[in-house]
Amino acid sequence: MKKLIKQVLAVVLVVALFACFNFGMYMLLTRRLANNFSGANQAQMIDVEKYLPHSPESHIPRINSSFKLTDELPVLDGAAALVPVYAAVIENVYPEGCVKFEGGEFSSDNFYGENFSAESAMQYKNTVRGYKAIVDGDTDILFCASPSAEQKKYAEEQGVELVYVPIGLEAFVFFVNENNPINDLTVDQIRGIYSGEYTNWSELGGANRIINPVTRLEGSGSQTAFESFMGDRKIAKKSPLSVTGASIGFSFRYYMDGIVGNEAVKMISLNGVYPNSENIQNGKYPIVARFYAIYRSDNKNKNVPLLIDWLLSEEGQTVIEQCGYVRIN
Amino acid sequence: MKNKTFSAIMLTAVGLCLAVTVAHLIYAVYAYNHCSIIYFIAKELW
Repeated sequence: MKKLIKQVLAVVLVVALFACFNFGMYMLLTRRLANNFSGANQAQMIDVEKYLPHSPESHIPRINSSFKLTDELPVLDGAAALVPVYAAVIENVYPEGCVKFEGGEFSSDNFYGENFSAESAMQYKNTVRGYKAIVDGDTDILFCASPSAEQKKYAEEQGVELVYVPIGLEAFVFFVNENNPINDLTVDQIRGIYSGEYTNWSELGGANRIINPVTRLEGSGSQTAFESFMGDRKIAKKSPLSVTGASIGFSFRYYMDGIVGNEAVKMISLNGVYPNSENIQNGKYPIVARFYAIYRSDNKNKNVPLLIDWLLSEEGQTVIEQCGYVRIN
Repeated sequence: MKNKTFSAIMLTAVGLCLAVTVAHLIYAVYAYNHCSIIYFIAKELW
């Protein structure tokens, strides 16, 4: 009988050890891994349906624009963070009925839930596929941050010259969990974190926790901006243990603050300057990126340059400002 | 319980637990590479 109890206990102990390991991994890691088309994450991503032009419920600014297009409508596409901007352009300049949205089911085949019909003047492919679409001639104007080296190379390989017109400014921000006591870092400290110089928050006046420096998808607008921010500093390979630590991530300000608006994370000040509109425009915030309207230099659509001119006009810049971004003119 | 029976039960239990753990690890690695970093950081334990 005693032997039987010992044997049963041994089996239970082994199962319990595995259960503890898996539960720990779930709490530390798995429960935080919402992929880009999971239900949990749809709420964190841009909901394109909220920004559909010519819909009374849309969250886009309306001005009394003096510039209207009626035909040869340039097809607009762009990054997630800039959907409000190009949707507002269509709202204020394009005729009703030019956007054909067919629902937004998120799935592995429809990663961003875009579902715009092929003849729609508004598309949504986000940065990586958007750059391909502009080079391939599927889009007339792309609203994005600077291209990655790979995206530039793809355009060169296809013999396509792209024209980049800066139309607005946006802060590149770093963020941490709201409970992380760190509120301010210097630019050098952030470069030090990502290059492996600092590995524990206590080295920067924070809690005694490993730093988990998170990066993003290769070729995305924010990853390209981050690589540019790092300059010559090499991005260090992370220790696998860092996933259990306290993370730092990066994004563009309006995507964080205006579109996703997750209150469980907070943007941190850089060199003592918080990334608000005022500090971006007056140049005090140290990392300000331009965003662009991009088109092929051989694009024959006569309305493309007219629309670019309008974007840089008082009316266009007002729309950009009312979308939550910082005007460039 | 005979030793042979015990060994068989133990091996089966360890095998099943290992399979679940390996599947969990594979999923975690895949999902980590495809997750939203804002959501990931927002759900951090403090």
